[in-house]
Parts: sequence; structure tokens; C-alpha cells
Amino acid sequence: MNTFSRVARRLETIPYLEKSDLSLLFVLPGLFVFSAFMLFPVLYIVGISFTNAQPANLFAGEGVVAILTFGEASYVGLENYIGVLTDPRFWNSFGVTWLYVATSVVMKLVFSIGMALVVTSDRVRGRRLMRSFIILPMGLPAIFTITVWRGIFSSANFGLANQLLGAFGITTVSWLTERWPAFFAYNVTEAWLAYPFMVIITVSALQDVSEELHEAAKVDGAGHLARFRHVTLPSIKRPVLFATILTSAASFQQFLIPFVFNTGGPARQNELLILYGYQEAFSFSDYGRGAAISLIAVAFIGTFMWINVKRGKLADGVKEA
Amino acid sequence: MSLIRSILTRTKEDAVRVATSPIESARVAKYTAEGVLSGDIPPREPLKTVGATLGALALVLVVLFPIYWIFTAAISSTGGSIYSSGDFQLFPSNPSMQSFLWVVGDLIVPGYAISLNLPLSDLAVVFTTPRVELLDVADYGVTNPSNFKHFLWNSLTVAIPTVILAMCLVVPAAYALSRREFIFRRKILFGYILLTQVGGGLGIALLIGLYAIYVQFGLNDSKLALAVYYAATAVPFNTWLLKTYMDGIPVSYEEAAVVDGAPPWRVVTEVVLPLSTAGLATVFVFTFLTGWTEFVVAQTLLGTENYTLPVGLYALIDEYTIPWARFSAFALTFATPIMLVYLFAQRYIEGGLSFGGIEG
Repeated sequence: MNTFSRVARRLETIPYLEKSDLSLLFVLPGLFVFSAFMLFPVLYIVGISFTNAQPANLFAGEGVVAILTFGEASYVGLENYIGVLTDPRFWNSFGVTWLYVATSVVMKLVFSIGMALVVTSDRVRGRRLMRSFIILPMGLPAIFTITVWRGIFSSANFGLANQLLGAFGITTVSWLTERWPAFFAYNVTEAWLAYPFMVIITVSALQDVSEELHEAAKVDGAGHLARFRHVTLPSIKRPVLFATILTSAASFQQFLIPFVFNTGGPARQNELLILYGYQEAFSFSDYGRGAAISLIAVAFIGTFMWINVKRGKLADGVKEA
Repeated sequence: MSLIRSILTRTKEDAVRVATSPIESARVAKYTAEGVLSGDIPPREPLKTVGATLGALALVLVVLFPIYWIFTAAISSTGGSIYSSGDFQLFPSNPSMQSFLWVVGDLIVPGYAISLNLPLSDLAVVFTTPRVELLDVADYGVTNPSNFKHFLWNSLTVAIPTVILAMCLVVPAAYALSRREFIFRRKILFGYILLTQVGGGLGIALLIGLYAIYVQFGLNDSKLALAVYYAATAVPFNTWLLKTYMDGIPVSYEEAAVVDGAPPWRVVTEVVLPLSTAGLATVFVFTFLTGWTEFVVAQTLLGTENYTLPVGLYALIDEYTIPWARFSAFALTFATPIMLVYLFAQRYIEGGLSFGGIEG
């Protein structure tokens, strides 16, 4: 009889717990580590957002007690939140973020559905090979893709975007130092980053569209467009909606693209919400304010996901499990 | 080892399919040509097919063009700085591998002198290991090679503890969630699935809290602490993934083992785990890549000495003395193995990701 079994038998004597509940012990280590590294920072960041924390005061104290008292930072109540919500820069960032979600999601959808239709079309030979090539970028690390796209939009000689414009006789654009060109560059990169995922989901949805319905519509004299609208679209709606929700959440949380391209520039005009919080904390040393912004962003993304889970039944898999 | 064998068979099947496809299409083309000549097939039909195929091919090429572009940039000859790199050429005029040599740097195992003092005497035996010179980039005119190997070492020392720790946390949990019924099971599973969807961005939003805690504990700039964080973030997705995989293994195997008198732990080690090799391999690859490719947290927490590959790559793009060709070579050396491993994990390891396999 080893220690484990003895502990196990002791636990069995606790009322409300059945013997089978011991299996919870298998799950607890993972749950504990995850909570320690995710939930504790959540609590901590909530705490920081009510203080005037800065590197100078936050890291001043010594030992474990200092961690719990946020160093020597002092409690300032809702000041950070009020400061943030009355700052025009926050509202600019907020607006740009939603605009970015809208434009990039539309772009991703149109691009991916179009591409999925092409690589599933009966007329195209070698569809399978094309499909395996087209999802290649999915395996590329995000930081690689984004630094490469920064090179494409670079104003230096090798910048591909400007060379392309030059080939058509259009003057060069300084992509990363002007507001809307930079915003456009973000969108293109985001679309390229996300399309493999969308294409995979759309392709598998398209393959489930019933042939009979298409044949029937053809017999009734429906054209290509009519068949797409009334047969294809309704059948792929659900999976594509699922992908859209996930990808719009990804757009909302986009950090790397603006950060790598020009740190949300020029002049902080294009800072998406998460980057805005990061910059306030790490570049301008205002941790309290950065924490408040991050929490507002998390609240938005949380609400958004919650509504979608409730309405879109995203977590259907759990019920049958 | 059945996993490796299955990957090999699959690769072989694919290779055969690709190799025989020209013959197949030639047969189709011949049949169509005969049909058109005899008037059975209207001549517009094959033209439409050819047009559509060419159009699709053009689309694929345009979409994948950035990858080709970065490749040509890497093999084009280098200029003095990031600004002096020239215009794009579809086929670089004088390709060179110099940039890749710059990335890899010297591969020299220096000679060591090992001296052993013989006991009870003043004598000592000195062994000198030979200096092994695999590659000396100075021979090829490359001076001052990149820090790639240093970053690689850092990345390895982050990714390996991540994998070990994550596997320890994920495997028992996935087994329990898949096979046992217990209190809070549904709630935990539901929470994990939710977190799977929102994980990434949440991490960055919470970075301020994480950073503050790490600095106060003096853990920032510690690769091991970073690995623990990565393992923690990898838990929900991978547990769920492995649980889904284990759900697919028939319970009857385990029942047979139980009937044969195997104690519970032997059922797990001799039935469940061997049968879920493919799932375990997928989780292994994904947790490894978590540590290998993560950028933001590593960039915030680590000091220059401990930079991992992604952070090193990012640091390179801001250094204007590095020619674009060299940057491209660095980026490709970093990304290509990952892409291959990822695609193999996706395509060949069956059943790991439910949406991974697209059937033709």
C-alpha cells in the first residue's frame, strides 16, 4: 500500500465526494498551473488599474509583501478609468480598432470565400495540389509573416508594394509613415495571415454542399449567381459564421501587425486597443493606465465572445462530450 | 514507431500520386482531344477547363508570391545596408548562398585539452581533442556572422522545458476528461474550450500584470520561468485536443485489458497511451511551437542576452546595417523548418485536428 492509495482512501471518506471524483486529481495540476499564470495576473492587473503604478514605485518594495501591496504605488480609485475614458486618444484607438475589425473581416471573408470557390470548382484541374499549397502560410510563424510584410511595404528600394506601383507608373507611397496607407497595409497583412484558416473551413463546408440541390437548381434554370446565393450560401453559412466570429476576435486583439509595422504610428494614430494599453504601460511607464485600458479591451472582447457563444452555440461540442 | 511508418506510407502515397498525375492528365487530354475531333465533346468545354485552371493557378501564384519574393531576396547578392538592396528580379541575376552562410556562421568545435592527474604520482595525462572544422564562413568571405546559433540555443532551452512540463500537465488531464466521470468535469471542459478561442490576445492584454509579477519575483529574464508560462498557456487547447483524440479510441480495448486482469495504471500505459501516439505527437509539436514561435511575451520579459529566435528576428529588422538579403535568409532559416513540421503535423498525423484534413 503506497502513500497515494492511502491518501485516496482518506479522500473517499469525505462526504459529497465519490470515489470516481478522484479523477479530478488528474486535471487539477494543469488547472492549477494555468490559473496561477493566467488568473493571478488577471487579479493583479485589476489591482494595478486602481493604483498610480509606475516602474519607480511598483518595483520599489522588497519581498512577498511588496507584491501584495503593489510596491509603493498608492490607491487612486477610479482615476485611471476616468482619465482613459475622457482621453480623446483612447476614443481614437477605440474607433480605429472597430474600423479595423470591420474592414479586415470583410476583406478576409471576400478573399477567402472567393479563393475557396476557386479551389473547389469542378472546372479546375489539380484542385487538391492547389489546396495543399494555398494553406502553406498557416505553418509560418506570425512574427515571420509580419516582418516579411513589413519589408513588402517598406519605403526602401526593395519594397515590393512600391515596385508594383512603379510598374504601373504610379508614384510611390510611403506606406508606413502615413495614416491610411498604414491602415491599409495592416488590413492586407491581416487578410494574408488569416486566410488559410478561413479557406480550410470554407472548403470543407463547400464539399458538404449537396450536389442534388445544385442539379435541381440548374434544371430550374438558375444561373451561377442565383445558385451561389440560394444553394451554396445557405449551406456554408454556419461554418463560415463560426470562422468569422473567431477571426473577428483575432482582428480585435491584433497586436503584432501594428507593433512590428510602425508601433501604431504615425504619431500613435493607428494604435489598436491592445497595443495602446501596451504602449501606455511599457513605453510611457504608466502601468495603472495601461492596465485600465487592457481591462477595458478584455471586457469588450469577453462580452463579444460571450454573446457569440450564447447565440452561435460555439461550445456545442461540450454537450455531446 | 507505427507513427513514423504511417507518415512514411502517406508520404509515399502522395509522392506516387504527384508523380503519376502528369500521365493521368495526359490520358484525360488525349481522351478530350479525340472527343473534340470526333465531335462528341463541344470544343468550348475543354477551353473553359483550361481557362479556369490557368486562372486558379495564377491566383495561387499571386497569393503565395510573398514567400517566393523573400526567397529570391535571400539568394540575391547582398548590398551594404538594408537600403542598398536592389530592385526585385523574378530570377536573381547572380544567386549566392552567402546570406545563409552569414546566418549559420562558423561551425567549429574548438579543441579542448583535458588533463587527468594520475593518482599517487606527479604525472598527468593530457588529451587534446581535435579541432573539428565543419564550416568556416571566413573562407567564403563572410565576416561577422549573425547570432543565429545563440538565439537557437536560447529557443531550445525555452521550448524543451515547455514541452516537458506541458506534457506532464496535459496527458493525465486529457485521459481523465476523456475516460472518467467526475465532479466539475463538464465545467472544466467548457472553460477550456472557451479559453481555446480567446487565449492569444488575452495573454497580451494581461502582459502588464504578468510582467509586474515576474519583475517583483525577479523572474524576468529567466528562460525557465518563461517556459512555465508557455506551458500554462498551452494547457487548455492541448488538453482539449488530446481529449478529443482519446475519445476516438474504442473503449473495448481497455475493457479487454481489464478482463485480462490488468490494473488501471497498466491499462493506461499499455493500451491508452500507445494507441494515442498520433495525438501525443500532435500535442508535442504544438507545445513545442508555442515556445518556439511566441514573440510578444518573450520580447517583454527577456533581456538581450536571452533573446529567442523570434525576438532576434524582430531585432534584426530594426538594424539598418543588416542588408535585406541577410534578413530574408535569417527569417527563412527560422521559418522553413517550422512550416514543414507544422504541415506534417497537420496533414499526416491523423485525427489530431478535426478540420485539418481536407479530402479531395
